[in-house]
This record gives sequence, C-alpha cells and structure tokens, in this order.
Amino acid sequence: MPTDDILEFADQLGASAPTAVEPEERQLHLVVFSLDREQFAVPIELVREVVRVTDITRVPHAPEHIRGVMNLRGRILPVLDLRTRLGLEATELTPRSRVVVVEIERRVVGLLVDAVAQVTRVGERLVTSPPDEVRAAGQGAITGVARAGERLLMLLDAARLLRNQADNPTSPSGVLC
Amino acid sequence: MTTLQPDHPFAALLAEFVAESAPLAEAVVERALSLERSWNRGEEDEETHAPLKGLLHTVKGNSAMMGLAPLQSLAHTLEDLALLLSREPGVRVAGGPLLVRGASLLADLVRGAATSPLPAEALRIQIEEIRAFLEGNPGAQEELRTERRQADQRQSDRRHSRQTVEISSDGAVSTIRVDSARLDQLLDSFGEAMIAHAGLRDALRPIIGRRRAGGEATQVEHALLGLERTLKRLEGALMETRLLPISTLFSRFTRQVRELARGESREVRLEVAGGDTRLDKTIIDRLGEPLVHLLTNAIIHGIEPPEERTRLGKPAEAVIALRAVQRSDRVLITVTDDGRGLDPERILVKARALGVAPTAERPSRAEIFALAFLPGLSTAERVSSLSGRGVGLDVVAGSIRALGGQVAVTSEPGRGTTFTLRMPLTVAVLRALLVQVNGERYALPLADVAETLRADDRAIHQVARQGMMTWRGQVIPVVDGGEALGGDPVADRPYCVVIRSASRHRGLLVDAVLGHYEVVVKALDPTLGRPPAVAAATILGDGRVACILDPGRIGERPADAAKDAAGAA
Repeated sequence: MPTDDILEFADQLGASAPTAVEPEERQLHLVVFSLDREQFAVPIELVREVVRVTDITRVPHAPEHIRGVMNLRGRILPVLDLRTRLGLEATELTPRSRVVVVEIERRVVGLLVDAVAQVTRVGERLVTSPPDEVRAAGQGAITGVARAGERLLMLLDAARLLRNQADNPTSPSGVLC
Repeated sequence: MTTLQPDHPFAALLAEFVAESAPLAEAVVERALSLERSWNRGEEDEETHAPLKGLLHTVKGNSAMMGLAPLQSLAHTLEDLALLLSREPGVRVAGGPLLVRGASLLADLVRGAATSPLPAEALRIQIEEIRAFLEGNPGAQEELRTERRQADQRQSDRRHSRQTVEISSDGAVSTIRVDSARLDQLLDSFGEAMIAHAGLRDALRPIIGRRRAGGEATQVEHALLGLERTLKRLEGALMETRLLPISTLFSRFTRQVRELARGESREVRLEVAGGDTRLDKTIIDRLGEPLVHLLTNAIIHGIEPPEERTRLGKPAEAVIALRAVQRSDRVLITVTDDGRGLDPERILVKARALGVAPTAERPSRAEIFALAFLPGLSTAERVSSLSGRGVGLDVVAGSIRALGGQVAVTSEPGRGTTFTLRMPLTVAVLRALLVQVNGERYALPLADVAETLRADDRAIHQVARQGMMTWRGQVIPVVDGGEALGGDPVADRPYCVVIRSASRHRGLLVDAVLGHYEVVVKALDPTLGRPPAVAAATILGDGRVACILDPGRIGERPADAAKDAAGAA
C-alpha cells in the first residue's frame, strides 16, 4: 500500500494538518477530497493511489454512475462518478480532478472526485453518525460525519458505494458447477 | 466441521496438490463408473481395474505427503475396496455403487482441499460404510495387506524416479512448473509491448509516408517491420505456453452427467473423445459453464425417459458424445445427443410470436435452428431438481461469443441434436476493425464483419422507424451506432459496417472506419455489470481504452437481458 506516496502527495498540497487528539485515542487515518463544496473522506487503508484523470472511455450500457474506464498502467480501471453516485451533478473535469483508486473486496475501482485535499487523522471521538437527511442524500453511503477543526468531513463506506453496481441479472446461474 | 485451509502448515502447497490430484481423482470416478457399468452387465473389466488401483494409490500418496489424513484414509479404504472387488466377482454388483460413491466423495474433497471446509461427518460415514462392507468379506483381508505393501514399494520407487525424469541427459532441467498467474503477467507485459508498437507505428507514419524522401525513412520502416516480426514470434511462443489439454475440463463432466441424469431419471452415458486437443487456459477456464449448460439441456430437454426410448426402438441408455478436434487455428467442440431433437416448427412458431422470424416465406432448417440462440426462444420450460434454473441458449451463445467463438446447432427430429462450438486457440489477441461513433472508438472482431461500405452507396430506407437497406440482394436492418450503443442518434453517418450473423446480417452506421488492428483482449471488471454489447476492452496505441463489442448483441440493453432472465425462471 503506497501510503507514503499519498502522504507525499498531500504534502505537495501543503494541507496535511492533523487534528489535535488525545494521545491514547484510536484515530482514523483518512484521505480527504472535495465534491461540490463539501469534503468527503475514505479510510486510507482502502486507497491504493491517487492519480490524475487521463482519458475516460465511456462503456455502453454500463451501470448508472459508472463514468467509464481508464488505462491505469495497462490495467482497465472502472471509474465511478462519485458526484452522481451521491446525487450531485455529473463531474466536470478540471485540472484539479483526481481519481482515487480504492481496493474494496478485492476489486480495484477509481472514484472520480473534484480534488484531493489532504490526508488527515481524526480521533474516533469526533465522529458522529450522520443526520437522517445526510444519510438519505448519500443514499446510505455516508456512514459518519467527522468534525475536523472548523470543517465537517463526510465519511464514505466505499463498499456500499459499489453495491448495486456489480450484480447483473444476465450472468448465467451456475448450473451444477 | 474442520477446515483444512487456515491451520494447514503448507497452505501454499495445497493449490499445487489440488492441481495435481484433482484430475487423478476425477479419473478414479470415471473408471469406477465404467467398472460399475461392466459389472452390472456381468462383464469383466480387468483393463480398467489396474489403472484404478494405481490412481487411488497416487491420490493416497499425495494426500499423505500433504498431511491430509482424512483424504488419505478415504483413498486407502477405497483402494482396499477396489482390490476386494477385483478378487471377488460375487460381490461386485453390491460393491460397485459403494465404489462410485466413495470415489465421488474423494474427488469432491480433493478439489475442495484448498478452499472448502472438510465435511468430516460425511467422510466418516462413507469410510465406515466401506469398512463394514470389507469386513463382511474377510476372506480377502490378508491378500489385501500383501498387495498393498507391494504397491507402497512401487509408489516410493516412482517418487524417486520422478525427480530424474525432468533432468535431460546433459544435466539441464528440461521442464519447470510455472504459476499460471506468472503467465498472465507475461501476457500483460506482452500486451503493453504490442500497444507500444502500435503507438510507435502511428507516430512514425508521417515519416514513413515520406519514404521517397530518403534512406532514413526506409531504415525506420525496416526496424519497425523487424520489431513487428519479433512480436509475432513472441506472441506465438507465449500462446504456446498457455495451451492446456481440454481433458482437464472434460474429465469432470462424466460424473456431472451421471448425477444429473439420475436426478432426471434418464439413463445416459457420456462418451468423450479428443481430450488431448489443446486450447488456451483462459478459454478452458471459461468454457466449463457453457458446456455444462449444453449437457444439462441435452439431458433435460433432449433425452427421452428410458421407457419412451425403448418404445421408440432406441437403446434405453442414451449417449451424449463430447468431442474436440483442432482444425487449423480453431478448435471444434461438439456435443451430440441421440434424443428427440429440436422441433423446427415449434421454434418457428415461437420466433413468429416474438417477431424475430426470418422474412423468407420458407426459411431453411439451418435458418430456423439459428433462431434458437436468440433471447427468449430457448428458455427452459421447467425447473430441474439438480440444475436449478435452466438457462437459455442465448446465454450460452453469449459466453461463447465473448471468448471469440461461434456456436451452431443441427438437429434431426427424433434422432438427436448436435451443438458445434468453434473456438479460437487463444483469446488473448484479436484481429479487430476499429470504428468511431460519437467520438468514441470501438473494436469489432474482424471475424464478425462481412463488409464495410460508404453509407451513401446504398439508400437506407426508414420503415416504421427501423432502417433497412439492400445488401447483396437481401434486405437487412440498419442500426445507428450511437443509438445502439446507448448514445445519441446522428443522421447521415458516412459509413456502414455489415455485421455477419448466423440468422441475419445487420448494418451498423458509424462515423469513421479507422482500420484493422491486432488488439490485446482485456476482461472487463465485474463492477461494469457485463453490459451485453461489450465483450471486453483493449488499450490502443495512444494509451486510451476502447471497448471490444459483441456484434451479435449491439443494441441490446441490460434491461432486455434482465427481462429474458426473468422469463427463464
């Protein structure tokens, strides 16, 4: 897991500012990115790398919220448009757009975000469960809200983001196998 | 339940154990079945008996080496049972089914050794049942012990000799085992080399175009051609390493067919031929499911119950023949049954109801049978106890096409049905026509392209919002590439690609035809939900991804497929 690369990347952004925490408290190590004007985060353990957006190829009749596929060093990476997945307008690509490559349940998927802000630590104590309105807006994928200084971070359940994206009724049921 | 895997000290070796022993255990089942059949007919079968004992002994030895005591003990009791049955013709009919059951359990356990928990209780009951049978026939016990000691000695001799077999006369190692994941990595790297070559060729095209200008351009062109030839040779060599005999796949069908036939109260014998035909590992891995569907369909829908067969003057035991043979760069696999065959009239009636019947007044039989692979035409009519839900032939055809193969069916009503699968030797590299639609590039397998023409060469008529054109004297439907691929329709696209199909050709309107390319096939991630029209993807010379289309399914939407699947339930 190239955590160091991500930290280095965050350092380049000059934004890595850990929140003050009690020394013995369990901490969440998070990759923070922005969508629209809000900040979201996924646990760093799931993140393999953060890459710039190269050309994304549309896949005909792919599931909703799949923006397409891109070439990640010879590997075909599915890219999920996190904005439409969370009920926002589709992402407009800008020079700050990034793909956060996550590995969930042995699947490697890219999350298209507006920008990656930083890598940070947040004490578990500062995480509360989201208000129902936020939960509904995030379609179940927002599992917590963390207070980091002045800001609020929406914690995403990456596995839930991908659910309903995989199961396909056309796949033949395994007869006998 | 105990799990073999987590606490096993040689977890890494287990996979190797399974790879080596599973085919042996399957062969044990096959031989046990064949012996049981002979014995039930009152025949001797010494030729099968000797190898059975040898196989059991090897499985036992391998299990012992892995410390898999429960497997070792099952193989051991089966060995005793096989020996007893060879000595005592009087107990064969009684002992045959026991041998088959024990062998089946052994095969299951070996195959699942690295992944599944051990069903300790089932195993204990099976072993006790066999022991009880053996103790009921004490006469042979002493003889058994002597013979087994001799077998153990032979086994240990063989183990020693095996070390040397792989060393050639000059002392060099001539055979090595390679993890198949390594081969996949190698193929990926080769794919990248192909992409780099295509990129180089595209970038140098302007220079080569000025070839008359001087010697440098010619040099560049020669170097490029040299690289291309080397890549071709490398491709050949790499593909060669990925070939496996198809028997690795066929061997497990004997038992599956038997079990399914029993559940359906059919008497069926599976005859296998051409097991040494070699195919790419990827194809072999993914061919299992469609073949099981075809075998299942044959048993459930093709083969009549024994009484009906007798009444029709057929042998009560039906035969399904599974054959493989190589024909130049293709492998033909046929599944033939001697059941009731397909009814062309019924297919035609169904096709007319669905509005997909051929336009011809009297379609040929071949045209009618080709319809059987369309969605909705072959959905299973009832649920079978063993197979769960039946699967339509359209799904089978889809999996075959996704591997770059084709499937066809011929049938003689009352006499039987033959499915023929034409598979490429390898799926890794595909010859494709690259086209552009709404700014995206798509690869179409060249084998599915009949012709490319300027769209304005032929008048395209709109009949009830469906485009039509005349092509080589036939009226064929024409679809807009944008609309068929989930994008926006555009009028007046300049090119039309005529797509070949067994039932009927179709025209696909595109913005540009970019030429022929050899593309490296990459599987799509399941996150993409297997959209019907997209078979796979590839990376082009400029590093961008292009979808490889399944031309037969262009225009289908996932929703259509879902509806069909629901219809099959």
